[in-house]
Amino acid sequence: MKKSRGQTPVKSLRRRDFLIKAAGGAIATTAFGAIPLRGWAADPVNIGALYPVTGSMAQIGQGCVNAAKLAAEMVNEAGGIKSLGGAKLNLVISDVQSDTTVTRTETDRLISGNKLSAIHGCYASALTLIASEVAERAKVAIITGSSTDQLNKSRQYTFTPFARASQFAKAQLQMARLLSDKPKVAVIFENTAFGTSTSNGLREQAPGEGVEIVLFEPYSAGFADAGPLINKVKASGADAVFSVSYLNDLILIVKTIKQTGLKVALNGGSGGFVIPDFYKNVGALAEGLQGVAHWNHDSDANAQKVNAEYKKRTGEFLFEYAGGLVAQTFMIADALERAASTDPQKVRDALSTLDVSSGYAAMAPGGKVKFGPDGKNVYGRPVGVQWQNGDLASVFPKEDARAPLMKT
Amino acid sequence: MMWETVAQAVINGLLIGGIYALVSIGVTLIFGVVKIVNFAQGEFVMIGMYISFFLSSQFGIDPLLSLFVTMPVLFVAGVLIQHFLIRRVLGPNDMPQIFLTFALSLLLLNLALMLFTANYRTVHTSYSDEAFHLGGLYVPVAKLIAFVVAMLLSGALWVFLHATDLGKAMRAAAQNRDVAMLMGINPNRVFCVALGIALALAGAAGSLLMPFYSAYPFVGQVFVLMAFVAVVMGTLGNVIGALIASLLMGVAESLGIQYVGADSGLIVVFALLLLTLAFKPTGLGGKAR
Repeated sequence: MKKSRGQTPVKSLRRRDFLIKAAGGAIATTAFGAIPLRGWAADPVNIGALYPVTGSMAQIGQGCVNAAKLAAEMVNEAGGIKSLGGAKLNLVISDVQSDTTVTRTETDRLISGNKLSAIHGCYASALTLIASEVAERAKVAIITGSSTDQLNKSRQYTFTPFARASQFAKAQLQMARLLSDKPKVAVIFENTAFGTSTSNGLREQAPGEGVEIVLFEPYSAGFADAGPLINKVKASGADAVFSVSYLNDLILIVKTIKQTGLKVALNGGSGGFVIPDFYKNVGALAEGLQGVAHWNHDSDANAQKVNAEYKKRTGEFLFEYAGGLVAQTFMIADALERAASTDPQKVRDALSTLDVSSGYAAMAPGGKVKFGPDGKNVYGRPVGVQWQNGDLASVFPKEDARAPLMKT
Repeated sequence: MMWETVAQAVINGLLIGGIYALVSIGVTLIFGVVKIVNFAQGEFVMIGMYISFFLSSQFGIDPLLSLFVTMPVLFVAGVLIQHFLIRRVLGPNDMPQIFLTFALSLLLLNLALMLFTANYRTVHTSYSDEAFHLGGLYVPVAKLIAFVVAMLLSGALWVFLHATDLGKAMRAAAQNRDVAMLMGINPNRVFCVALGIALALAGAAGSLLMPFYSAYPFVGQVFVLMAFVAVVMGTLGNVIGALIASLLMGVAESLGIQYVGADSGLIVVFALLLLTLAFKPTGLGGKAR
């Protein structure tokens, strides 16, 4: 696991890079005398990164680590933190192993063993809740792509720049209205905490959004055959299906709907549905399926540029957590710039007054980031997405739509 | 509309019941002949799926054709497992046998996790998403093929057990091991073949599943629970009983999902099991055959 914590091979290369640039900077400084002398001697700023790169959540976690490295490089290549004399960001990566206990000890170890200015992580809600608790106690700011609303309760050092889970249901319901004035929706969900909490949100808000729920069906995850469930959907007369499912069940549901010849619009929600792996498993059948995300890579020119670079490195498009993470890194850089200090308390205070509407830090649905007292981005909102030509296109709401909704 | 929904539920149930049958026949055959419970049967389905997946992704071999690879490979694996592992724990005490097959299950599961990771692997074939439509009903092509092949394999096994000397020896060993030995039947040889056939059936289930189901390390667990229920319902050791029970359970599960609730399919299956045991305590098959 050592490999994931440090980045030894990259570091040595970067140090050489750094020396060359620093030497150049030194010459320039003596020549023009414009930049303060400490410029070439600036210590790097340590940013903690907590992600699961082993265990059951490793797949998305590894993508996050790739994006975190890319984002730090981007900040550094653009000259680092100028108010700190061009200080470079130094990522201190820690593998939280998809495990809550490990997350607690790793977060503790990371904070006590390094002089950190801020932390980002862990994407998964269960892990982020723990890491956030530890960070709060140590008084180090943590910024996260996790969407659980619990992170916005009585916390001072936790910042959530993207839409909250409670906002997702509303967006999904409104998307159903795009296809029909009086949509009849079948909600099928796996019967544990994840499925029930999400689907209850849908059921509560449906009447207010003018959506009729004609089937509200819990199922046990990991079925052998989606046939009986889809038979039920068919009998319900629904014209749209919301599925709150894990990846394997969702693959079977998509295939079975296709086989029945049933004409329904499927909304798969977020999470496992909006990552490249979903398309790899489902292939062309994914075309036209809808979902919701807290971030998408076509939002603006900056996001597209980062997406192109990420694609070049990993072969896959920049999915929501990874892309959001790049924006988060630039939010931290913005805070460091204004704090002109590596002190975690000052960085936290600078984050709390962050207000951006342009540049990489503002890459988010809505295009603006400003934190309220609860650490929530007051402009945060989810974006409705649709699989089009093997890629995710933003289709909802109108202000964030980058492609027309494909009617299937 | 009403009858259509029922008919479709029955079709869905029968089709998946065919897969349950392949797994449960393997379990019941091993239990009937060797008198041990193979807890690792589901993991052999998983291995069959991974073999099919890699043959398809590396060499472009259709998962159904890979049947001709998975079945022999797993047959040999079964013979080796019987000869080198199970033979050593056969005795008056059941515990070592339970530990052995259970350990085998854990070992294979975690080995798969280590080698293949927990990711889902899917194969796309031209017929994966196709279906025959008759009126308002549909029959998915891949599942229909799986069902037909499963029935053919079950039929072939029945013929083997009733028409060949080796098959008769196997049934004899199942009915009374001591008398069979007195008649000159070599038990280890019979047991090796039984294990081989049972694992080959699990491998066949893996290949047949691959066109429409994803492979992942825990996939065996999805099918093995149903297989154990079918083995009990269809009378321990009875091949035809397990086959009929599997089909019945598939239909019961499907109708349960349709009319009780999508998370209640198993309740109906277990209710059926309890009813069967209440009225026919030995199971549907009557006696081991």
